[in-house]
Amino acid sequence: MATERQSSRGKRWLTYGGLGLCGVAAGLPFVWMLLASFMTEGETLRRVLLPEQVQWANYVLAWKEADFGLYFKNSLIIAVMQVGGTLLFSLMAAYPLARIPFRGREVVFVVILGTMMVPEMVTTGPNFLLINWLNRHSPIPWLNNWPALTIPFMASAFAIFLLRQFLRGIPGELWEAARMDGAGHLRFLLQIALPLCRAPLLTVGMFTFIGSWNSLAWPMLVTNTPEWRPISVGLQQFVSEAGAEVHLQMAGAVVSTLPVLLVYFLIQKEFTEGISLSGLKA
Amino acid sequence: MKKIPLREQAIAWGFLSPALLVLLVFGIWPIAYALYISLHRWRIKQEAFIGVDHYVRALSDPGLFNGFKVTLFYALGTIPAEMVLSTGLACLLFNILRGKGFFRVLYFLPYITPVIASAVVFRTLFSPHPSSLANRFWVFWGFENQRWLYENKSAVALGLKALGFSTYPAWVDTFFPSLALVSVILYNIWVYVGYDTVILLAGLSAIPRQYYEAAEIDGASPWQSFCQITLPLISPTLFFLATVAIIGTFKAFNHIYILRTPGARDTTDVLSVVIFDQIFQNHNSGYAAALAFILFIAILVLTLVQNRVLGRRVFYGD
Repeated sequence: MATERQSSRGKRWLTYGGLGLCGVAAGLPFVWMLLASFMTEGETLRRVLLPEQVQWANYVLAWKEADFGLYFKNSLIIAVMQVGGTLLFSLMAAYPLARIPFRGREVVFVVILGTMMVPEMVTTGPNFLLINWLNRHSPIPWLNNWPALTIPFMASAFAIFLLRQFLRGIPGELWEAARMDGAGHLRFLLQIALPLCRAPLLTVGMFTFIGSWNSLAWPMLVTNTPEWRPISVGLQQFVSEAGAEVHLQMAGAVVSTLPVLLVYFLIQKEFTEGISLSGLKA
Repeated sequence: MKKIPLREQAIAWGFLSPALLVLLVFGIWPIAYALYISLHRWRIKQEAFIGVDHYVRALSDPGLFNGFKVTLFYALGTIPAEMVLSTGLACLLFNILRGKGFFRVLYFLPYITPVIASAVVFRTLFSPHPSSLANRFWVFWGFENQRWLYENKSAVALGLKALGFSTYPAWVDTFFPSLALVSVILYNIWVYVGYDTVILLAGLSAIPRQYYEAAEIDGASPWQSFCQITLPLISPTLFFLATVAIIGTFKAFNHIYILRTPGARDTTDVLSVVIFDQIFQNHNSGYAAALAFILFIAILVLTLVQNRVLGRRVFYGD
């Protein structure tokens, strides 16, 4: 008995040891990013692990001189528009795919799923030409402006798929009951389905937010002035131009990470639930 | 089949139309448009029709061939390692009582963090400077400083050098990934293992406990129950993750664009980066479209083959 208990205790140590080691590997780059962002330039070049004095000035420099304030605001506006558009249009599209057996439903669904397979780089070139054309022919400019940065991303196949799976799970009796009460599809969607879709909507919103915050190639093509430049492009240019100013690079990296982490911690529970859903067989 | 009232049909299409419009215009139409563009000389605007000239050029372009090679190295370097590591971690996490939530959040952080930010951090972690964390770690174990992301020689060649071989055949650099690409692969593993672990954990929780109890009564070892129960039952999830990862390799752009360095560019540029350079730097939309179309066909074929070969082996129960 004693040896068995010992072996189970040993096993527990091994388990936590393995988990802890991987945890350190996962967390170390964050720790380093944060520490280096508070160092002086000299400290980042010497073999220093801790800054002697916390250099808040790095953040002021990055925010003002490297224009991160402006880029940050741009990224935020772009992300809010993309998330709002995606949630609205994807929920609207998912509803009939889940609940109205209209003609051609299967074909539409397959076409929508098909767009998930197409890598961004296949559509980037043609879309850039298309945006140039729209820029010349529409009343508002598309290049260096919000339309090019937001409108092409206002629907996502993944969002539609996830929301459809979820809407299909709502019992049919609810719909029958709502119809008895004289509710149409729109009212059913807004008053009954919408409140039930909290977790998948937050998940889809989070994914859209991350995708928007990350996008680099497309904004590099459609913005050539700082006016609408997002933080991803700002940081990329800062890294390729500034060279060795590691302390400022890290301050910029921290600034661009914070909003995403903040949103993640706020909706962590629903998000984990939502993405776990996406991996299970439908 | 019951006839669906016209009004219902109209409502359905009305609900669908905004999303469908965006996806058709910016997701489907560009594929056909890419084919059209690729058949023309096309820099800033449309010029002469040149037929399949761009495709002929692409097939003899070392850049395209190299892009495919790097993409293949990248896929082979990341996907198996991610699957094994995340399965292991998910099993460990599944069996603990305390701290499960903590580890799950921690492992998930790299996936959530903006790619640009974490790639910038890795650029400094894997810099050739002697004070970079990678070099400090490496030197701690008694090895020499490395150039990491700036190194275009293959990791195997460097190993041979360390063992005292001063010369080695040229194919060692051709058939193995460069140390720069290995660094990119490490970054990719760091990002995705946590995501895969969280999804696999959900898969593990869905396995009925009784299976394991029955196996234990029959005297099965933990390893046997893992191979006979766990693995078959999470194989659909693994298949899903592998599919996402393979498509991800072909989509990979952001972090590679940040992590590429002047000296090792040819050894880290996957196809997407090669295509983007044609659009962004050479302003050659025609040729870029041809490359993009080839990439699209490659993915289409790969997905079909994967579904045929791997999809059949996946165990979905009955």
